[in-house]
Amino acid sequence: MIQDTTTAAAPRLGAPLAGRPPRRRRSRAAARNRWTVLAFMSPWVVGFGVFFLYPLGATIFYSFTRYDLINDPTFVGFRNYVFLFTQDPLIWVSIRNTAYLVVAITVGRVVYGLLTALVLSKVKRGAGIYRTLFYLPALAPPVAAALAFVFLFNPGTGPVNQFLALFGIKGPLWFNDPAFSKPALTVLALWASGEIMVVLLAALLDVPTEYHEAASLDGAGALRRFWSITLPSISPVLLFAVVNSIIVGLQYFTEAVVAGAVASGSSDAVGNVASIGYPDNSTLTFPMWLYEQGFHSYNMGYASTMAIVLFLVSAVFTIILVRRMRVTGVQEEE
Amino acid sequence: MRKVIPAVAVTALAALALSACSGTGSSSSSLSPAPAADEKVTLTVWSGFADRELDVVNSALDGFHKLHPNITITSEGSQDDDKIAQAVRGGTAPDVAISGNANALGQYCKTGAFQDLGGYIKRDKVDLGNIPKAVQAYTQHDGVRCAMPLLADDYGLYYNKELFAKAGITAPPKTMSELRADAEKLTELNPDGSIKVAGFVPTIGFYNNRLDVWAPQFGADWQNSKGDSALATSKGWTDLFTWQKKMTDFYGQDKLTAFTAAAGQKYSPDNAFQTGQIAMMFDGEFRTGFIDAQAPNISYGTAPLPVADDLSGSYGGSDVGGNIIGIPKGAKHAGAAWELIKYLSTDTEPLVQLANGLKNVPTTLDALKSPDLKFTGTLAPFLDIFASKHSSSLPTTSNGAAFLKTATDFAVKWQTGGASDLKAGLKDVDSQIQNDNALQQ
Amino acid sequence: MTLTTTAVTAARPEPDRATAPTAPGRRRRDPRARARSVLGWIGLHAVAIAMAIGFIGPIVFVLLTALMSDQQALTKDLWPHEWRWDNFGAVFQKAPMLGYFGQSLLYSLTATAGMLLSSIPIAYGLAKLKWKGRTWAFYLVIVAMMLPPQVIAVPMYVMWAKLGLTGTLWPLILPNFFGDAFSIFLLRQFLVAIPTSYLDSARIDGASEFGVLWRVVIPMARPGIAAAALFMFLRTWNDYFGPLLYTGENRANWTLSLGLAAFRSTHQVQWNLTMAATILVMVPVIVLFFFAQKSFIEGIKLSGVKG
Repeated sequence: MIQDTTTAAAPRLGAPLAGRPPRRRRSRAAARNRWTVLAFMSPWVVGFGVFFLYPLGATIFYSFTRYDLINDPTFVGFRNYVFLFTQDPLIWVSIRNTAYLVVAITVGRVVYGLLTALVLSKVKRGAGIYRTLFYLPALAPPVAAALAFVFLFNPGTGPVNQFLALFGIKGPLWFNDPAFSKPALTVLALWASGEIMVVLLAALLDVPTEYHEAASLDGAGALRRFWSITLPSISPVLLFAVVNSIIVGLQYFTEAVVAGAVASGSSDAVGNVASIGYPDNSTLTFPMWLYEQGFHSYNMGYASTMAIVLFLVSAVFTIILVRRMRVTGVQEEE
Repeated sequence: MRKVIPAVAVTALAALALSACSGTGSSSSSLSPAPAADEKVTLTVWSGFADRELDVVNSALDGFHKLHPNITITSEGSQDDDKIAQAVRGGTAPDVAISGNANALGQYCKTGAFQDLGGYIKRDKVDLGNIPKAVQAYTQHDGVRCAMPLLADDYGLYYNKELFAKAGITAPPKTMSELRADAEKLTELNPDGSIKVAGFVPTIGFYNNRLDVWAPQFGADWQNSKGDSALATSKGWTDLFTWQKKMTDFYGQDKLTAFTAAAGQKYSPDNAFQTGQIAMMFDGEFRTGFIDAQAPNISYGTAPLPVADDLSGSYGGSDVGGNIIGIPKGAKHAGAAWELIKYLSTDTEPLVQLANGLKNVPTTLDALKSPDLKFTGTLAPFLDIFASKHSSSLPTTSNGAAFLKTATDFAVKWQTGGASDLKAGLKDVDSQIQNDNALQQ
Repeated sequence: MTLTTTAVTAARPEPDRATAPTAPGRRRRDPRARARSVLGWIGLHAVAIAMAIGFIGPIVFVLLTALMSDQQALTKDLWPHEWRWDNFGAVFQKAPMLGYFGQSLLYSLTATAGMLLSSIPIAYGLAKLKWKGRTWAFYLVIVAMMLPPQVIAVPMYVMWAKLGLTGTLWPLILPNFFGDAFSIFLLRQFLVAIPTSYLDSARIDGASEFGVLWRVVIPMARPGIAAAALFMFLRTWNDYFGPLLYTGENRANWTLSLGLAAFRSTHQVQWNLTMAATILVMVPVIVLFFFAQKSFIEGIKLSGVKG
């Protein structure tokens, strides 16, 4: 329930209503209240203004310039936008890659997180141990996790392909094969889905058992109960998990960079231009291409153009979440 | 909150105003004088070297310090082009920067990230004629010379003598047809059909099979006389890709991919040539250093790279490229920096010292002729290759190696069968490169 | 819905698990149902164990590889012939890991401190102070939370470059002194659940809002604050893009994430040492988790509740 401090009748300011303290005292209290609020919120005023609004506006500005950060920016109109939408061959590759990762990571994390949470919710003995073991990988720093996975998925010597060979399956080249590099990254995301799992676990445990009891008394099977009772009950948390995963997918940078650089055998930290997105641009995500253009190729103007596109896409999902929250009501007070 | 909105707006505007003022400052175009003999100066030198190689560079820097005791040098390794660019942008640039390759030179010169050295060269009457023409070409862009060369790489054919003897081949191939014939003879298969020993791996992107190394051997020009991208118009490119496909088809695309995927890393001891799994390889002169250190028991020889059949008159050269050394914008001691650059890049003694230590080719004709240069045995052919009039270098562009990536991306697509129309594909590459360039203007 | 209860129960130890519904009259189990439930139990645990292996297996393999010799790490072997514990020491010789560790610690601790200093009052303002537009301010927090950092990377970099602070960790630390969106969100969720009656009685006693915050709310909100602090620490510890952008050029200020990503010889990756370094980088976080499990889990739950 959104609690609004203005009443529906919107009285004229200062008109004393019955039962309220006299005007002067109220306005003095109101003024003190305003200063208090400002005092508490002032860091955010600066934070939001300087570290959100200003850079967003500046990005828009820079997107219309050519800027290498060594010399002053020069205005070039819509040229960057034209280039982005019609002439940059790698932009669509990077968009496709990021889209793939957004879908794969979201579906993967939420589904696998739900699965593991379900298992955890049913296990009684040793639940704490299982939960710790399931969650531990989510703590691994992304750089470490990516390095570990490139090693584990090494086509020739890694344990994964050796394990597959036990079943007679000839393992693919994983991080060296354009068709399998993103799936390998998806597996990495699944492995680290512990955060989602814990959130969903809490939601699952919150589902009132009476609902389940009533339903099973009515003869509903486990699957039916899951579909009609569990899912709707946890749907708000599911929504949050989905939106969160989408935003993670849109920002996906570190693991792709490290995996590509290491798998290609390059010796720079981020990988030189020739090996970026190894193999064959399959791991080139949109944020990576943005970084490459802005900070390698001296194209800060063009990078800003890309940033605007990224912002618009993430804004869509943000708006969905906020609207959903407005509809269901922001929890205000006890 | 009536108060909040204006507060936010004011803060945002303040931040905007702050950033609008130019912070990088204008650099004066006047030349810095060399420091006086009693003036104490500390120079920061950045390079991309690490470990053993950094030690070699540091000893050359010590030599400079002995000649100029008033100048102390702080040497920082593992600094690649990214970091140099970051430092220039942030105003924390070193006095001297050594970049690992000349790909970024065009960007450095065009943006002014490296200072124009033309004035210094004229003032101190440096003889550029002492530097081979191909090397001069990659240290200047659009008439501005913003770096001096410091050691270079050239490329040759490495071949396994034992495998040659086993297959009855007496001399290394000189043309592409001979290369293919020899490769086919040298290839051995496992019982299950997979490749055991590959005569020659034609996969572009594998080890040092780079387009910049291959292109000159087929007479494939990167640019025409006007400076436009010429992949579709220069016949050499069609020859290159056609030859490459034929060679790939001999092995079978899948088998070749399986082989390259299982091959060891480029510079690690299990490099496939060093383990005898590849009979012939294109690689730079630095490979001899790796073989000495990691696989001393392999019996191998070196020779110039083969050329296309119709270019047999151009045999003996290769692509040439190397380190560049310059003064970044914002360097605090430009005058002293230039003294160091002059010393390292034109004096024979430090060049020979670096060449011997890093196993790279020195970049002045005097140094090439020096009796102290230990380029013997398998290294000897590389000196001739470097000095050959058939050697060339990549053109400098204002967006660095982006054109190389565009072309390589196409090459990868081509060799995995993703592009069937060669002519159309090459035309596409040209227009992409042109578009990329236009973005930089 | 049950959100408030979740937030409130976060202040108490974890509730009992939902047990299988046993309606009255079902206490007697016939043998078939019992067999089915035993099979179900076995099946469930089999799945759980398989999942656990999937999660922990990679870490185990990494550890085993970290103990192999140089040559063996390049082979297919999964079990080290000789247990080279000295590999962990070698990591420190190869790269200044202690220095990186110190930098990571500096970054994470100061960023977390800054976050707490600024975000607790902000969250309090959003949760417990009444003012017009409060809800919209909260939406703005969510908007800021969802923004990918790459969107504003360029102008932020320009700004810090003009201030001469690139090459240091300050561009990453300072913004947190003005509020961190995710932490504000988390803290606000937690504070909202604290019954206002406690605050009101303090206000009636004449305490200023700051006094209420300091003396009443913060002590009650300790678990939530601990959770937010832990999450901030973890987020900054694992940050790669930020340090890459701002400290890339200055090796002295590298954090562990940069150090690990660059951990290789000039020309190749030494897998055994790299895996050892990977383990070393993971250890502090895992240790922290074990000491602060409750706060971690509660914090994650808080971040997921709608509202």
